[in-house]
Amino acid sequence: MRRKLAMMLICAISVSAFSGCGKSEATEDKGDATATENTIFSGELEENVTIQVLENDTAISKGYFQQLIDAFNKEYEQYGITAVDANMDQYLDLANDGPYGYGPDVLYQANDVIMQYAQGKHILPLPVEKLECYSQVPKSAWQAYQVDIDGQTYTCGVPVNVQCPMLYYRRDLLPEDWKDNWDKDSNDVPDMVENWNDMYAFSVDRHNENGDTYGYMKSLYDVYFSSGFLFSYGGYIFGDNNTNPEDIGFSAGDSAKGAWVLSQLASTMNEDCIDDTITTNAYSKLADGTYFATMSTPDTYTTFFDELVNEYEADGLSEEEARAKAEENLVMTGIPKLPESGDLKEENPKLIDSKAMGGVNGYAISSYTKSPNACLAFVDFATKYDMIMLRNETLGISPAREDVSNEIGGLSESIYEKLEKGNIVLMPSIKEVAQIWTPGQTFFTDIAKDAFRSDSEKKYKDIDSMRAGLEEMCQQIHDAIFTLE
Amino acid sequence: MGNCFEKMGNAIKTSSYKVKLSALFMGSGQILYGSVAKGLLFLAVEVAFILYLVRRGIDDLTGFFTLGTNKADAWLGTVGDNSVVMLLMGIFAWIVIAGFISLYILNLKDVYGIEEQVKNGKRPKTFLQELQELLDSKFYITVLILPVIGICVFNILPIIFMILISFTNYGGSIVPPELVDWVGLDNFRKIFTLSKFAPTFGRILGWNILWAFASTTLNYFAGLGLALLLNKDCVKGKAFWRAFPVLAYAIPGFITLLAFKFMFSYGGPINQIIRANGGVAIGFLDLDAKWSARVIGLLVNCWISVPSIMLLATGHLSNRDMSLYEAARIDGATAFQQFKKLTLPFMLFATMPVLLGQFIGNFNNFGIFYFLRGRLYLDGYFLASDTDLLINWLYNLSIDNNYYCIGAAISLIIFAITSIISLAVYVNSPSFKEEDTFQ
Repeated sequence: MRRKLAMMLICAISVSAFSGCGKSEATEDKGDATATENTIFSGELEENVTIQVLENDTAISKGYFQQLIDAFNKEYEQYGITAVDANMDQYLDLANDGPYGYGPDVLYQANDVIMQYAQGKHILPLPVEKLECYSQVPKSAWQAYQVDIDGQTYTCGVPVNVQCPMLYYRRDLLPEDWKDNWDKDSNDVPDMVENWNDMYAFSVDRHNENGDTYGYMKSLYDVYFSSGFLFSYGGYIFGDNNTNPEDIGFSAGDSAKGAWVLSQLASTMNEDCIDDTITTNAYSKLADGTYFATMSTPDTYTTFFDELVNEYEADGLSEEEARAKAEENLVMTGIPKLPESGDLKEENPKLIDSKAMGGVNGYAISSYTKSPNACLAFVDFATKYDMIMLRNETLGISPAREDVSNEIGGLSESIYEKLEKGNIVLMPSIKEVAQIWTPGQTFFTDIAKDAFRSDSEKKYKDIDSMRAGLEEMCQQIHDAIFTLE
Repeated sequence: MGNCFEKMGNAIKTSSYKVKLSALFMGSGQILYGSVAKGLLFLAVEVAFILYLVRRGIDDLTGFFTLGTNKADAWLGTVGDNSVVMLLMGIFAWIVIAGFISLYILNLKDVYGIEEQVKNGKRPKTFLQELQELLDSKFYITVLILPVIGICVFNILPIIFMILISFTNYGGSIVPPELVDWVGLDNFRKIFTLSKFAPTFGRILGWNILWAFASTTLNYFAGLGLALLLNKDCVKGKAFWRAFPVLAYAIPGFITLLAFKFMFSYGGPINQIIRANGGVAIGFLDLDAKWSARVIGLLVNCWISVPSIMLLATGHLSNRDMSLYEAARIDGATAFQQFKKLTLPFMLFATMPVLLGQFIGNFNNFGIFYFLRGRLYLDGYFLASDTDLLINWLYNLSIDNNYYCIGAAISLIIFAITSIISLAVYVNSPSFKEEDTFQ
């Protein structure tokens, strides 16, 4: 009996072990590369097809995505086109899975993630001029999705929203006399959120008044937030508009001044700025008043808000009162201006605009889709005015479309303006960008740590040593990219 | 091996045409001797093999050498060649060939055996009898055939694949759809000669060996000490006390590591206590913390590993011959002498294979420093920090930086180092030398 059972098991396992083996499916020849876009996107919709869409997790959880596909499916019902949730992990491996028929037809991701698929042609070049949103999206946002292949420039994504660092602060933690002493230009905006020199001075004052409280607090190791200080003084990531990895520019221009600014800011914080402590505890520390200000992205607003509401409720306010008070006191604004000299102690400094690293999230279409025209119709539909407006209302994004941005006004408009002016430095869309994070993180950690080293142990005593540190960081990035090529 | 083929050759030469025919058409000799079903099975194997070769085997073998000639272009709909898949399928083809050769030899042995039986006036076994044998005296073959195939496909194939990757240029910008090429020993040459690479390799290897020995020794003796302590008669509520290390063991390792990372971070409880007492926060794991991070790594690893050693040792300690201890006590041996002369030799004998496993595990302990102090590239190291082990460096290179071929080459070197050390230790251990000491 046992042996019969063993035999049956063996047979069963044999069948299952060898099932599902086979060659990958060939896709039909689609023609000549130079006419790729026109060949693939003939304009003739594939009928009775289902397209898998990989959307952002927040868009799914907050119900926006459902509204989007419902609206699209209704619009394209006559063609039998149905968009569905691809229900896949956001960090898919299209390069390896796509050729075998796995993966979504349409994907929504940040430009640096999407564009890592462009060089290998895993996402399609799009006829973006045909899209309704084309004229409304700034050139710089389109550039984030451009790739040069065989001497031709292709656009492989459609921008939807812009991500960049923002300053969060508590209005109710401002000094009572701020209008008298912290509003030199009498514009009803506190100086400390307008320029870093006053933020520095205020941070020093606040900590001196009470050793347990701080002004501006941020984990400085984070390249995404800290590199903007370098860009503001002439630094950049890669040369030739972020397309030439041979030219690494973190140490270019006067970027060492940006490193100096960071080290001065670190001196007003505590050692928590060296590691990820502040990144983790900023929500609660801003809520309990330990920190006056911090830096984060717009999508974390609700987390700060909820934490502050909880704090007010703990103080005895009703939920409604707490929400109203939090709405009034939690402020998300642009990044303060920097002194041209890099000296945060300078009196009456000449101020320059702060630049920040940012990203553009958008849609792309997989090269392995069987329904490119239906996918393009979906992307076109999802990037129209109404849907982007709804996306903003539901998710609080900063739209890449000018008309929606103008309509909303406020921060979205200012982010859009920054993008237009080049004050948001978009993450490069070449795969080499993956090599900037760890060397950058190490350098910024070192700068932060230096503020807490004894004078004899300090590594960065002057601008020259900071420039040398930045050059070393650039060298590390260069080595990481080219040593083993 | 050569002798075996010589014997087989001679046997075929001296045997009848039926055996010679089987050498050409598998199973035909068996059919001629009346074992039709078995003969047809062998013939089917040959036909299937030829069909496999025609349909894809030859292509796979060619692909194994060329690693592809047509680059894929998804925009044009050109499927092209995937070098990595071709390498994998090429290895599979070699495994199929090896399997076919084994069956071919089996076929010759079988038909020769039938001929010998017929010569001796015996009737060859019927197919049914042979099947019954497979369920009786040769049942081990029936049971083992699938695991052997499974091991070939799921163990041997990936290992060979990884080894062969180290002889290609796969990685960096050369990933599909780009075509991969064979580069011989180029990756190994890079590891040992590149000015950026060689010093890092030396530093990391030195620390890795020190770490493996130190952590294995510390874990082993801490676990053994704990087991001995909880074994003492004077300890009340042994089960209760043993539960604590087991609880630590039950929590997933990476959660423990992240908890320790938080504890030792600037905002963690340890630094909060230091600050509350007027001290200055200490960067236990920051970029200046070379030795403190290493020591914390050792201790955290100890925390994670000691419970398993303790449980293992507790089991073995219950098998000791207590009369030896009685005799030692009468002879005036101290507790330490008893431990040194009786307990330790017995435990080393009993646990040497496990101890080696622990050593290998510690040598390749990826999690400890990845979770405690990952994402740092320090001066004097290429894409690594001063607490990274070879396995962490391999991860940085192959996952973070896509240098798969270099990663594979380092894997081979790690394999060579660990296997040499393990073999040397095991061959010189009492478990191997004095196998019957405690039996």
